[in-house]
Amino acid sequence: MKNTIKVQRAIKDITQAQLAEIIGVSRQTISAIEKNKYVPSTVLALKLARYFEVPVESVFELTEED
Amino acid sequence: MGKSYLLPHRFKKTGWVLLVLGLVLGIAMRFFGIDSDYFGRIPFLGIVTESFLTSNKHFFKVAENGFLDELVAVLIILGGILVGFCKTKIEDEFILQMRLSSLVWSVYVNYGILFLAVLFVFDMPFFDVMVLNMFTVLLFFIIRFHVQLRKANRL
Repeated sequence: MKNTIKVQRAIKDITQAQLAEIIGVSRQTISAIEKNKYVPSTVLALKLARYFEVPVESVFELTEED
Repeated sequence: MGKSYLLPHRFKKTGWVLLVLGLVLGIAMRFFGIDSDYFGRIPFLGIVTESFLTSNKHFFKVAENGFLDELVAVLIILGGILVGFCKTKIEDEFILQMRLSSLVWSVYVNYGILFLAVLFVFDMPFFDVMVLNMFTVLLFFIIRFHVQLRKANRL
């Protein structure tokens, strides 16, 4: 799975730490998701999409391996 | 999410103090020849005890006992549980996953060592392995988990 969190963050102009605080997770979690080291739960994915005001599919996308 | 069975973050510092104290005293006992009477003897209620000479079991017998070894074990167990299982400041799903994988890893390593010791270590040295093995599952977990956390910090 790949994601566009970094891009979405740039659009909103916020840091990993700020996003983490808004969503209620640790900064490490945001960082791990951006680097594709961690696949978030559905709840977390939906929270991120809600904050970015886009559908969840435009933040997360399946890749060949999934 | 279901119950995590974790303890509140505020106890973690207390846990470190107890654990470090227990480890320092434990190492002093094991490697520097300080014995269990070092701080004196106090009466204990032994629910089950056995006399060395006759091998008779005694139940609910009060006896004096050097308490340093008991103190070390209690400190390491309480401290280890607190350090290992107090929540991190923000305990989220990613950290829970690292916690779980560290726990699995430490159980494997701990029992791997015990498995080898069962086959290749005998008599008193095996007893020593068993004594250490009581604590190593917690210690391996704590080390592994904190190394993983540190790695995640650098992401």
